[in-house]
Amino acid sequence: MAKKDFRGARRSRSLWAVATLLGLVTALIGYSYEAYQATPTTSVQRMFSQLVLLLMLLLPIVALVASYMSIAGERESGGVKFLLSVPNTRRDVFVGKFVSRLGIVCAGVVFMFVTAAAGGYARNGTLPLTLVAGLLAMTLLYGSVFVSIAIAVSSAVAARSRAIAAAVGSYFVLVLLFVVPGLSVFMIAQWVHRTLLGMEANLDLYNAVTYVSPLTAYRKGTNMFFPDEMEQRVFQRAADASGDLPVYLSEEVSLLVFAVWLVVPLAVGYLRFRGADLQ
Amino acid sequence: MAAIRTRSLTKEFGDVVAVDDLDLVVEEGEVFGFLGPNGAGKSTTINLLLDFIRPTSGSVEVLGRDAGGEPAAIRERTGVLPEGYGFDDPLTGREYLDWAIETRDASDDPDELLELVGLAGDADRVAESYSKGMQQRLALSMALVDDPDLLILDEPTTGLDPNGIQQMRSVIRERAENGTTVFFSSHILSEVEAVCDRVGVMNEGTLVALDSIEQLRENAGGQATIRLECASPPTDLGVESIGGVASTTVDSDTLVVNCLDPSVKVDVVTHAAQRATITDITSETVSLESLFNDLTGGGRDGEEPADRGASSPASDGRGAVQ
Repeated sequence: MAKKDFRGARRSRSLWAVATLLGLVTALIGYSYEAYQATPTTSVQRMFSQLVLLLMLLLPIVALVASYMSIAGERESGGVKFLLSVPNTRRDVFVGKFVSRLGIVCAGVVFMFVTAAAGGYARNGTLPLTLVAGLLAMTLLYGSVFVSIAIAVSSAVAARSRAIAAAVGSYFVLVLLFVVPGLSVFMIAQWVHRTLLGMEANLDLYNAVTYVSPLTAYRKGTNMFFPDEMEQRVFQRAADASGDLPVYLSEEVSLLVFAVWLVVPLAVGYLRFRGADLQ
Repeated sequence: MAAIRTRSLTKEFGDVVAVDDLDLVVEEGEVFGFLGPNGAGKSTTINLLLDFIRPTSGSVEVLGRDAGGEPAAIRERTGVLPEGYGFDDPLTGREYLDWAIETRDASDDPDELLELVGLAGDADRVAESYSKGMQQRLALSMALVDDPDLLILDEPTTGLDPNGIQQMRSVIRERAENGTTVFFSSHILSEVEAVCDRVGVMNEGTLVALDSIEQLRENAGGQATIRLECASPPTDLGVESIGGVASTTVDSDTLVVNCLDPSVKVDVVTHAAQRATITDITSETVSLESLFNDLTGGGRDGEEPADRGASSPASDGRGAVQ
């Protein structure tokens, strides 16, 4: 099942075009970034930090687009009838599609990291392996989460149009709402808590709410591999806050967030697909 | 063991009852034709057999197993030519067939199958670019992989030219001779007539007739008509007195005789020839077409539901319109 899907995807010209484009972009970033008056290592670190900022917005799009049509498309076109006319169970179809699309996205991520690292090395002559390996792992997790969400969406609906709508919707809710300045989940949480419920401001509570998003998890998780001075400030703190962040806002929790976002959508999507009428 | 057995099978889509309390048994080794006008519930029934959709109530057993409970086990021994399929992936015809062979763990030679369905020359073109007829042939080749015990074909002659239809017929016959059970749905009567042992007729979700073709003709009380063109108006030939003659009419030079059985026709001709000069003979038998019309009340193109009961002429209780 996975092989057939992969073979078909390999032929897709648009997929190759996107992959080449991304590869060029990352290589360019890798090569051209030069920090002002900094050591080669710092330069490369800063470059990867920029790469993370780019990926956090771009990778979900790539993963969603690569996966959202995988099952819904087959249902709408009738191709799913062939998939199920041979001794495949619905579980086989679901898992096969997931594995295939996951493979494609992960291959793309690895490709981008290799080109960025190569560019950075060519320019600065250094390659901080732990940083690159750690970031790669985080990025793979981040991409996988969105493949999982897209597969779940794809298997839960019967029409292409609905799959597109749900994919766009999830990008909006999980990514855009956390980066667009004027319209952020943090502010919404704050408004609900203070204005609607009339309670005392509790910044860490709102931070915890934002930690639900895989985007936040990605930003926090990647912080683990950067030197302290380069870490992203992901959470807002009160002016009088002292000491470390509470445990539930630590970097390690990002792994938990990723785990939940990997497992739950797949479970929900599979259950809906298993019980659905396919015609 | 019955190849297919349904018990009170019902499927509703909202408030449309697509299949209503269907009790059907298809024996192993027989060629069963599933007839009905568009929208009768044939494809829905097939989708239920294949677990593409789930019943609202009732049960479906294929090859002795519950369709919903053990779909994969059923599919191992079933070849399917579905309706409303699509070749979406950018794969060639040969690759699709290879995939079917691989998934079934079969040892068929793809070239042999492609040759059988007439796609040998186009095997390496992308399946999406095939004409409707070619796609149908590819779908058939995929259904035949690993010589299944049961073939389920939904409107198998769709899109095929007369050659293709003939090829389809010979494939069905050949497989049936080797013991394969064939279940196919069609709204083309000649196809069903040509190969089936038994026929089930669906109309608006209900099975309105279930029998061999000869039996259906007999039960519908259809009449055989013979027209004798004579040199002079054939009045008073005494044909009415022949046993098995239902009615006679004289239409200027032509004597029209309705017989209860085709075998009576020769008696009529012999009798008339002794008493008049016959210049031409035309014989008609109730075709499956008019039978079909009676049973289904003309389907979508027929009269209003209120008229149907009153207007069907020669049907007895068994073949009556619901």
